[in-house]
Amino acid sequence: MIYINAFIFCGVVCAIGQMILENTKMTPGDLNTILVITGAFLSCVGLYELFLEWAGGGATMPIMNFGHVVFQGAYNGFKETGILGLLNGLLSSSAVLTFTIIISFLVTILFKPKH
Amino acid sequence: MREKDYKKLVDKHSKKENKLKNVIIAFISGGVIGVIAEGITNFISKNYSLPMDESYIYSTLFIVCLASIFTGIGFFDKIVSFAKAGLIVPTTGFAHSMTCSALDYKKEGFTKGIGGNIFKLTGSIILYAIVVSFFLVLIKGCIE
Repeated sequence: MIYINAFIFCGVVCAIGQMILENTKMTPGDLNTILVITGAFLSCVGLYELFLEWAGGGATMPIMNFGHVVFQGAYNGFKETGILGLLNGLLSSSAVLTFTIIISFLVTILFKPKH
Repeated sequence: MREKDYKKLVDKHSKKENKLKNVIIAFISGGVIGVIAEGITNFISKNYSLPMDESYIYSTLFIVCLASIFTGIGFFDKIVSFAKAGLIVPTTGFAHSMTCSALDYKKEGFTKGIGGNIFKLTGSIILYAIVVSFFLVLIKGCIE
């Protein structure tokens, strides 16, 4: 059952993204920025955790999840040690971000640009 | 010729892409990515007996790794032109744009080329995620 939920959630987010790309002059970069901000807002309201429970892996895939992860790390830090915890926590659980930086660097060194 | 007439002429002759078809393709390809992520997560958590929230991170890392390597080979651009937002919105698009911008400026050297341009497209995502989360946490903390 969770596979169907994952399909529907990730599919709907991608379809909304495609609609925005078709009907406005936004570039994919603008779209992803807006989605990340949306993810942080949804996480602030407490909705994104429900989505994660409902759709599982389908909710971890859209870039919105990055906003959720950053917000949750910062919020947990803020609850523990106040403003310093907030600043420390912003990137405390961003394994995906650091891994993307490392793998992009390795790929850049190993491969030649295609043109 | 006036600008308006020119625009009309361009619209007449440029090929109209079917919007609904693109949205449906994005829905299906995005959904498939979600199902793959869920499948890898279940596989990892069963075979290596890890808790679910850790296996979600591992499956995302695996997909990011694949997307980055496919970008290096040049295979990713071909799938993106077919799947459109179905691959741009998931984390695969994030990895793709980071690898792509670094690869394009590789010939300018390690600092100015790779270092200066690796965050060219993804920098705005990281920037706004951090800034918006900072203020949201402040607001939420003050209310509570």
